[in-house]
Amino acid sequence: MSIKRDILWRIYLSYAFIALLGLGILVQATRVQTVRGSYYRSLADSLTTSYRSIDAIRGNIYAADGSLLATSVPIYDIRMDLKVDGLTSEIFESKIDSLGRGLSQIFGDESGREYTRRLREARRAGKRNFLVKRNIDYQQLQQVKELPIFNLGRYKGGLVVEQKSKREMPFRHLAKRTIGYALAGVAPVGLEGAYDRVLAGEGGKRLMQKIAGGVWMPINDRDEIAPMNGDDIITTLDINIQDVAEAALLRTLENNAADHGCVVVMEVATGQIKAIANLGRDSEEGGYYEKYNYAIGESIEPGSTFKLASLMVGLDRGDFKPTDSIDIEKGKVKFFDRTMRDSEEHDHRNMTITDLFAISSNAGVAKLINQHYGKNPQLYVDGLRKLGLGEPMNIEITGEGKPLIKDPKGKGWSGVTLPWMSVGYESRFTPLQLLTFYNAVANNGVMMKPYLVQEVRNFGHVVQQYKPVVLKDQIASKSTITEARRMLEAVVEKGTGKNLKSDQYSAAGKTGTAQVANDRYGYRESMKYRASFAGYFPADNPRYSCIVVIANPKKGLYYGSYVAGPVFKEIADKVYASIINPAMEEVKKEQSHRTIVMKNGAHQPAQVVLKKLGIEYLEKASDAEWVTAVSDTTSLALEELTVSSRKVPKVLGMGLQDAVYLLENAGLKVVPMGKGRVKKQSIPAGSAFRKNQQIVLELS
Amino acid sequence: MQRQEKTIFQYIDKWTILLYFILTLIGWVAIYSAVYNEEHKSIFDLSQNYGKQLLWMGSSYLLLTIILALDFRIFEGISPIVYGVTLLLGAGVLFLGREVNGARAWFEIGSFRLQPAEFMKLGTVMMVAYYLSNTDAAISKLKAKLVVGMLLAIPVALIFLQHDTGSALVYASFIFVLYREGLSVNYLVFGGLSILVVVLTLLLDEWAVSISIAILLALYVALSRKKMKAFWRGMLVAGPAIAVIFSVNYAFENILEEHQRQRINVLLGKVEDYKGAGYNVHQSLIAIGSGGFFGKGFLQGTQTKFDFVPEQSTDFIFCTIGEEYGFLGSIAVLALYSLLLIRILNLAERQTTRFGRVYGYGVASILFFHVFVNIGMAIGLLPVIGIPLPFISYGGSSMLSFTILFGILIRLDSGRKLVLR
Repeated sequence: MSIKRDILWRIYLSYAFIALLGLGILVQATRVQTVRGSYYRSLADSLTTSYRSIDAIRGNIYAADGSLLATSVPIYDIRMDLKVDGLTSEIFESKIDSLGRGLSQIFGDESGREYTRRLREARRAGKRNFLVKRNIDYQQLQQVKELPIFNLGRYKGGLVVEQKSKREMPFRHLAKRTIGYALAGVAPVGLEGAYDRVLAGEGGKRLMQKIAGGVWMPINDRDEIAPMNGDDIITTLDINIQDVAEAALLRTLENNAADHGCVVVMEVATGQIKAIANLGRDSEEGGYYEKYNYAIGESIEPGSTFKLASLMVGLDRGDFKPTDSIDIEKGKVKFFDRTMRDSEEHDHRNMTITDLFAISSNAGVAKLINQHYGKNPQLYVDGLRKLGLGEPMNIEITGEGKPLIKDPKGKGWSGVTLPWMSVGYESRFTPLQLLTFYNAVANNGVMMKPYLVQEVRNFGHVVQQYKPVVLKDQIASKSTITEARRMLEAVVEKGTGKNLKSDQYSAAGKTGTAQVANDRYGYRESMKYRASFAGYFPADNPRYSCIVVIANPKKGLYYGSYVAGPVFKEIADKVYASIINPAMEEVKKEQSHRTIVMKNGAHQPAQVVLKKLGIEYLEKASDAEWVTAVSDTTSLALEELTVSSRKVPKVLGMGLQDAVYLLENAGLKVVPMGKGRVKKQSIPAGSAFRKNQQIVLELS
Repeated sequence: MQRQEKTIFQYIDKWTILLYFILTLIGWVAIYSAVYNEEHKSIFDLSQNYGKQLLWMGSSYLLLTIILALDFRIFEGISPIVYGVTLLLGAGVLFLGREVNGARAWFEIGSFRLQPAEFMKLGTVMMVAYYLSNTDAAISKLKAKLVVGMLLAIPVALIFLQHDTGSALVYASFIFVLYREGLSVNYLVFGGLSILVVVLTLLLDEWAVSISIAILLALYVALSRKKMKAFWRGMLVAGPAIAVIFSVNYAFENILEEHQRQRINVLLGKVEDYKGAGYNVHQSLIAIGSGGFFGKGFLQGTQTKFDFVPEQSTDFIFCTIGEEYGFLGSIAVLALYSLLLIRILNLAERQTTRFGRVYGYGVASILFFHVFVNIGMAIGLLPVIGIPLPFISYGGSSMLSFTILFGILIRLDSGRKLVLR
């Protein structure tokens, strides 16, 4: 009996013990889940979810023809989670060496052994977010993903990829300063800075959840503020003119070992800036690069180019005529204690105003202006203001230099101010402001506001359009304008600008050679000059105006006509040949007996180009919108290129411009990489896509 | 022959089998939730853990059927063989096994991994039952204690060598079996007190614990009528107690490994380390706690789904249940286990052979230990000891071994009446 009781006791005790422990569990579970439930729930939410901002994709900056001037390309930081569950010691040890070697081969900055050593160390230290390499590009990332261990993926191989974006200018230094940049904490520069709001778009917010390894992932679509991707801006810049301007400027700066220089090309009728190049010498390296926007920011004494304004004041007031004659006293005229000299000695006495302007006689212009306005300089100054001078242009980008015209009632006015002012000293203008004035002359007196941005687009749709703005309806009477233009033509025809004459077209303009005031010694001791040329072409029907300013040429030459003039001529020559009046003869000669290589593209422009170039081709795509050119040594045929609106179009082989047009119109967001033709598209042709999906184009 | 077949299945305890099926199905769904992968939405996707678990479940059901179809008499006979084979596997894995998370405890055959420790439990239970079923092996005798101690010590040693402390601790549960078979209650009391003393020592100062014990004993002696006898008795307790107290810190500092020390410190609340050793438990608590009363719902658990909780489909599978089905779900699972345990103890108690009874208690003890420790760990009651939740946790080895363990008991039970005939 007692044994049975003992056994029963034991059974009960066992049950009781189990029940006790079970009760413990029950109590704890209750406590955790109900009593402290809300505490843990809030902890769970705070720990794991948060509104994270999602960056908007920054808009692109395009040239007028659609060439990409600035775009955002993705770059990546790669990190490694060395404690990821799937990465066993065996896998790690067997493959770490080849991973290190692979990384070394891709980046080439460290030896494979070094990479291996670091990764081993990081694994020992149990790092979950070890930085392997910063700022790698898309192609490198693809290679990295193929490496041993990393090819096992996030959860086995521990590869953590963090995407960022980097601003890239496909044309590198071209108009770099004008395109500019926008960086946090730095004063904005150029269009990137000026249009930062438009380009940046608006970051979104999304409820995200933290998962293993510190990676955040979105949980659902609720409560989400989608990022508004930045709009694209279409500048007025013409990539070809810009290229020519920049190249010509660079060559001249180099040849003359000048300090810096700038070129602005403006479309006469609209005020659109077609090219703006600014190059400054790198004081250490010696080369030139876009380091400051001289054209817009540097307010300088204009020099002889300002004589046009001085004379136009008198012409417009009817105080003298271009044919009036005046004794220029062999180029030496005394005003009080100072003598105004022409830049070269000569024996000319009586000259017409047109002629003295053509040879840029300081003495003549100063004497003439002093004669008429010496007693009442206010008339002259008012005349200048009436010409539209002295007002800022309020161009889109910040940092415009302030214009300065002295006030006769002001402190700085002396007896010699007027004569010196009349030849371009004692007042200050930026090259752009002066060009705007010349442009108005070319534009029959209508002063156009210079501008750089013509459109803001969002996925190809025009959001905002900037039309030409008239600053001043008529800066001077028609007759004054005509006379002024005659005088400018004479400069190139027979004056200081003779060397700029072309037999293809006529140009008009004014040279400028200014001594640069030295802070300590004034003009006299200074040997620094600023050579400039402002003008337009063709003279009879002006299309483009252009100003060139070269600061401190050091190779002996300092005349505007020899230093700045050739830059103007080079630009005018090329623009005339390629845009205004494409010289077909030359092109034809080059084209014969050559295989014609043509990019895939829009049908109609292709026809136009081929016709213009006089190239015979076989039309196999009569109604097609897009064509591909099939060519061999003897023939060229246009064949239809099928572009479906819902599938990703095939853009392989196309130029970037056409590819971007096609893809963006289809609703894709293009991220180009490299230069040239499309070599690879990240979404294969024919595959479906969602709107605004990104497609990466690799160009070569 | 035909008649006998009929009787076998007739006597099978269907309720217990039903509980087993329910638990495995719960496990399958919980694993699906825990490792849910957007790209592989099908619960049958064999490339994912939930798909694989389904394979293991299928294999287990098949195995169960086979076991139930076998003659129940063979189990007792083959016990030493099973014990031997599993020990051989356990020894073999030390040399041929593959290291996972610092433990060399796995055989790898193709893409399948086999953990001998899981099967060694089975072998040991069978062997202990086999030995104690000898009529002359009374556990009250020293020899029997020594032999059973040896039978337990060998697998424990092998498992320790595999650095799988959790699985080794499971063998402590055999004390219930031995208690049921007549082991003096003193051992249980002594064991319980030792644990208490160890915990107190770790929590408090070793001198404080020593002095408390001294005062308690002094009171005991003072209040006793036979003071001399009480004094010696007190000394008998004090000696080992002091020894334990002063060896605890040494053992803690020198024998335990760093991560084990950390886990214990975290559990005792001495260290608050939500990122290191306390990470698992803390995350697990957040997961379970945030489930609240009703839970977040199927596939709505965020903590487990986004891999906050490590080992979420194996050792911490209870989190998923706690988070997605809340307090109700947790209680339901606990209730199912309780029912299963009570059922198994009932089966064990109604066994007509000593082998059957000891085996039944062994199964109950192991199952209980697993469930208690696993859930206790998930809700922050016990230190993190990596052992699976039977029938629910992901893993082929534990699924198969628990099914065999369980199946044999059912088969023994269904044949118990034939023994008497």
